[in-house]
Amino acid sequence: MKCKSCREPAMVDLPSHNAAFCGPCFLRYFSGQVRAAVKAQAMFGPGERILAALSGGKDSLALANELLEQDCRVSGLFVDLAIPGSSDRARAAVEDFCRARGLDLVVVDLAAEGLAIPEVKRRVRRPVCSVCGKIKRHFFNRAAARGGFEVLATGHNLDDEAARLLANTLRWDGAYLSDQGPLLPAEDGFVRKAKPLYRLTEYETACYCFLKGIEVHDAPCPYSRGATFTSYKRLLDDLEHNSPGSKFAFYDGFLNRGRPAFEAQQAGLGQGLSPCPECGSPTSGDICGVCRIRRLLRGED
Amino acid sequence: MIRVRLEPDGKILEFPRLNTVLQLLNRLGLRFNQVLVIRGPELLTRDRRLYAGDELTVRRVTSAG
Repeated sequence: MKCKSCREPAMVDLPSHNAAFCGPCFLRYFSGQVRAAVKAQAMFGPGERILAALSGGKDSLALANELLEQDCRVSGLFVDLAIPGSSDRARAAVEDFCRARGLDLVVVDLAAEGLAIPEVKRRVRRPVCSVCGKIKRHFFNRAAARGGFEVLATGHNLDDEAARLLANTLRWDGAYLSDQGPLLPAEDGFVRKAKPLYRLTEYETACYCFLKGIEVHDAPCPYSRGATFTSYKRLLDDLEHNSPGSKFAFYDGFLNRGRPAFEAQQAGLGQGLSPCPECGSPTSGDICGVCRIRRLLRGED
Repeated sequence: MIRVRLEPDGKILEFPRLNTVLQLLNRLGLRFNQVLVIRGPELLTRDRRLYAGDELTVRRVTSAG
C-alpha cells in the first residue's frame, strides 16, 4: 500500500477516505481535518483562550498537542476522579505531557471537593458512568468560567459522536438530538464547548499519538466495564467495515439535515436556567445535579 | 517465530508462521482499524509482509471509559 500523497510506503490505511498515508503525510492530513472542523463550525478564533479537558487518553492528548502545534492559546484541565489504581496513573500521564510541552495545567481534585468517584459509586443507585460524566462536565465548565477561558475543548472523536448519536436516536430523544454537535455556543453561565476532533476516528487519534511519540494512559476505567457506548461503537464499526465512510455520513448528515428539524421541534420547550444557590453553576432545578449528589453523600437527601 | 504483544492487557502470543498483517489480524479476530500493528518505529498496514523473528505490538484503539 502506497501513500496517496507521496507514494512512499503507507503506515495508515483509511478506506473511508479511499486513501492511505505515510507518517508525515498522515500528520498533515490530521492537522487539515482539525483545521477544517474548527473553521466549519467556527469553534474559536485567533487569540481566544482554550481550556482542553485532558483525561490522559489518546484523544485528549492528541487534541492538546495539535492545538499547541497550531499555535492556539491552550491550557490543560485534569479532573482527578480519585479512583484507586487508575486516576493516579492518568494524572501522571497528563502531568508528564504538560511538563514536556510547557502547557499550563489546572487540576481539580474530586476527593478535595468531597466527590471522590468511588464514594459516589457506593452511594448513588444510577450507573456511575452517567453520574461521573455529569460531575466532570460540571467542573469542566466551572474551571473554564473561573479561569476566564472563552472555549472548553474536549477530545470527543467521530466514534464517540456517532455512538452518542446512535444512542440518542434509538431513544428518539428530541431534547438531546436538538443540541448534539461539535459546538455548543456559550449560554446562561455555560462556556462555549468545542470538539475539534469530530471529523477523526479513534483509530486516527491513536495513529497520531504513536507517530508523535505521545505517551498515553490507555488502561480502561475499572468502572466502565459493560458500558453501553462500547456496544454502540461495535455496531457502528460493523457498519463502517461493510460500508466505509458510513460513520461520518451518519453524523455529518445528522448535523446538516437531522439536527435542524429537532432544533425546530424543541424551540421554546427548554427550561430556563438560573444559578444554583449553593455553587452558582447554571441549573434548571432548585439546586444543580452536582450539589444534589453532594447532599446525598452528606446524608442530607 | 513471530512474537506478538497485545496491549493494553500485556498478553504475549507466538506464531510459527504468518505471511501478512491481515493474516495476523484474522487469527486474532480483529479488524485493521480496531488496532495499531507496530513493528519498531513503523505502523504496518494490513498488506505488509511479516518475517520470522518479527516482534510486533498489537495495540487496541477503542477506548472503554
